Amino acid sequence: MTANHDRVRPDGGIDALDPPPMDVMDEETLKPETLAQNAPRLETVIQLLNHPALARVYVYVCYWGPVTPPEIMEALDLSKSTTYEYVDQLVDLGLVDRDDSTRPQQLTADPIIIVEQYVPIVITPTVLHALALQEVDEDVEYFVDRHGLGKLIAALRGAGLHFAGGTTQRMVASDIDVRETEAMMIINALKPALAVGRDHDPFFEHLFPDVHDEMDLPNLDEISGAPANSSDSDR
Amino acid sequence: MGTDVPFSADQDVLVDANIFFAIGRPSNPRYRQFRSAVQNAGVVCKLPRRVIGELGGPETDRVRTALNEEWAEIIDAPPPTDGDAVAASDIARRTIANETGQAEHDVEKTDAILAGLAIQYLRERETAGVVVLTDDKPAKKGIENAVRAQGYTDTIAVYGLADIIGDDPGDSMRLI
Repeated sequence: MTANHDRVRPDGGIDALDPPPMDVMDEETLKPETLAQNAPRLETVIQLLNHPALARVYVYVCYWGPVTPPEIMEALDLSKSTTYEYVDQLVDLGLVDRDDSTRPQQLTADPIIIVEQYVPIVITPTVLHALALQEVDEDVEYFVDRHGLGKLIAALRGAGLHFAGGTTQRMVASDIDVRETEAMMIINALKPALAVGRDHDPFFEHLFPDVHDEMDLPNLDEISGAPANSSDSDR
Repeated sequence: MGTDVPFSADQDVLVDANIFFAIGRPSNPRYRQFRSAVQNAGVVCKLPRRVIGELGGPETDRVRTALNEEWAEIIDAPPPTDGDAVAASDIARRTIANETGQAEHDVEKTDAILAGLAIQYLRERETAGVVVLTDDKPAKKGIENAVRAQGYTDTIAVYGLADIIGDDPGDSMRLI
């Protein structure tokens, strides 16, 4: 899983082998039934990427879960009907598990990871969190409006490198080709995604193989409302 | 909080643009905290034009607010020509290259220039001292090294945002 680390570029992209070798796709992967099996996964990701509000609920359940719908309403400041609409969608997509044996129902979500080295794409809860911040942070919203999702992911990678001391904010601006002040703005705005992801995204290292444990970020213990530390003690 | 701020009205406080982004929008508690720290000290933050660049984009709203409220001003600091100042920028550039693992010519000129500006400003103005504020760690290290190497540690101090308003995010950071 970690074989591609050397190809993570400072601008957040991952060098693609161009063009991909022919044997990337073979008869097995191109079988109609295999493609059909993978279709829901593709649709899931498209749904999340296109709907930051939905991604926000997913990330909340993933990091803070198990949680109940009323807890989501309260924490994310959503109406009751919106909350249930999103939860139903996420359950239908297979992203959220609903335990109906308790009242109120308990929701949990497994973290997802999609890495496609040839496009390249890397999507983890941290990336979805960054995207979801559009819903609550005008700076992230402005950046995505102006530069798109791909650059947001590049900026996320640049921000992580910056907080690890490996690049200046102006270097990030030049690497991802945005104004210096825009880079300064987005690097600071993405802090929550990095601070929470570092502790709670099991795939954080896939995005930051080089600097995942070197970032100087606020400690979640000092932030009210941070997710409780998960019981897995290997992190 | 305001009493232990490490600068006073008899010093010139040079600020890099990144400070205005580290404190967030004017509605952010950290923005308000920083503004009171500056105002209580009786200081006006000086933003060299060559480090802030164009104030064109909507993201520069927070800088314009500070200018309108008159606790920050843009200064046209001359490019470093003084020998010490030029050398300082070179040292800053080398340090930043070293910190980030980049080639020296890949270091953004603006990241390195603040060290030179600070020394030149001090020498021309002959004020009690210059304080440089930047929240960019590699860039800060560059300035610190340059100031130390050029022997200006008595008159030029370099601080990050945490030195001014602490680093406790408190309620200022919305996690999701």
